[in-house]
Amino acid sequence: MKQLAEIMKDIAAQSLSRGEVDLVIGWQKGPLWWQSYPAFIEGNEGNGETGSLTWDSFCVPNLSRYLLEELPERKKVALFVKGCDALGFNQILQDKRAEREKVVLYGIPCTGLVDPDKVESAGLGRGLLEVKRDGDELVFVYDSGEQKAQARDFLYDKCLTCRYPNPVVYDQMLGEAAPVQPEERFESVQELEKMDADERFAYWARQFSRCIRCFACRNACPACSCRECIFDIPEPRWLGKANELSETQFYQIIRAYHVAGRCVDCGECTRVCPVNIPLQELNRKFIKDINELYGEYDAGVDPEQEAPLVTYKTDDPAAFTES
Amino acid sequence: MSLAQEQAFEPLIVAFCCNWCSYAGGDLAGTSRMTYPANVRVIRVPCSSRVSPNLILRAFQRGADGVLVAGCHPGDCHYVTGNYYARRRFSAMRRFLEYLGIEQERFEVHWISASEGSKFAAVMGEVTEKIRALGPNRKLRDAR
Ligand code: SF4
Ligand code: SF4
Ligand code: FES
Repeated sequence: MKQLAEIMKDIAAQSLSRGEVDLVIGWQKGPLWWQSYPAFIEGNEGNGETGSLTWDSFCVPNLSRYLLEELPERKKVALFVKGCDALGFNQILQDKRAEREKVVLYGIPCTGLVDPDKVESAGLGRGLLEVKRDGDELVFVYDSGEQKAQARDFLYDKCLTCRYPNPVVYDQMLGEAAPVQPEERFESVQELEKMDADERFAYWARQFSRCIRCFACRNACPACSCRECIFDIPEPRWLGKANELSETQFYQIIRAYHVAGRCVDCGECTRVCPVNIPLQELNRKFIKDINELYGEYDAGVDPEQEAPLVTYKTDDPAAFTES
Repeated sequence: MSLAQEQAFEPLIVAFCCNWCSYAGGDLAGTSRMTYPANVRVIRVPCSSRVSPNLILRAFQRGADGVLVAGCHPGDCHYVTGNYYARRRFSAMRRFLEYLGIEQERFEVHWISASEGSKFAAVMGEVTEKIRALGPNRKLRDAR
């Protein structure tokens, strides 16, 4: 069977040369083993450019987000989607920031991606040239030879809890369905809930104190799709620039709240944070509470459904005493 | 905090009251000559659903020790559905603040109709006393 990357190259070359799309968004390899970056391939250039497309265990960037910028400029865009990219795409559809007919989706069943930090902390990073996936195993390639290990030990935490590894929306699926075996995703939220208020405050103050307000978490997020972001507008200036905990809290609370009910739990915010703030523990608190109070809801699964915080029932429960 | 300061602590409560019910309830409390603590600063808003989390956090940043949103009873919103949305959003918000280690009592939501002057006064009194017992808000305040 052809390697997935080869299929991707062929498909991209075909749809570009036939003029079906004027942009393909996929992934390409960077110079180092852990680098698989978004790739933007334009025009009718045929196989030359599409030759850079790749699929490996590091194709983690959620590509759906790029539609926000690219789609208005294009006639039609082809996008490769893993499970989480597909959820992101549906969320963008629900938020009416993309038109379904302007996008061609090539679905990729995902068996989980590799967290470079886990490779490094296992001491396997030194001299590493390439990491290949072979079923349930990873093959680490060095000048001196190869070494094998269980893949699951190196996957991103977010991949271990992933419930939708197979794209929920696609035009064409490339490959066999991946197994779905998610671990419990609310464990760390539950641990935090057990602490008392002051402990929790100290925990979050410690986390937030590292935030440099680079906005990478916002910029990577498929649910953060406002044309004008409250954190950017100068007037009224909601977010100050001072290095002050209350300003960071403002950013963190409002960011999480703005995606509440729309966060697809792709974990991209957490992955891109340069200072390792566990943003998913914030988003998942909202997901968990909304599930408990207003019924189970998975953002990004069905774009026709209404997000839970933009709707209501007259007999909704409240998390405050109603009298 | 020294004992003298502790005794001097007067909580500051910011109460966002919807124009059509709760603010009118406050008016009724006033015209009926009921008293409620002067710690409460009322801010009139068109509807409980007008109150965004930005406003709540800003109040805390700028010195509020407790924040309260008051609106019409469910079913009675002047804009028909505003408080139904507010109920969901503030429920999520309230639990979230608690998750960050903010005491639950610091952010409250109450439904107070235009005819409930005595309820308005009673709620303002209760909230003020709860916050007085909790002490000043240091967690969300701008320390500058
Ligand atoms: S908030 Fe984070 S986990 Fe949720 S959709 Fe955005 S990037 Fe993904
Ligand atoms: S990515 Fe991390 S450091 Fe940057 S703004 Fe988000 S939480 Fe702060
Ligand atoms: S007008 Fe009172 S809650 Fe909407």
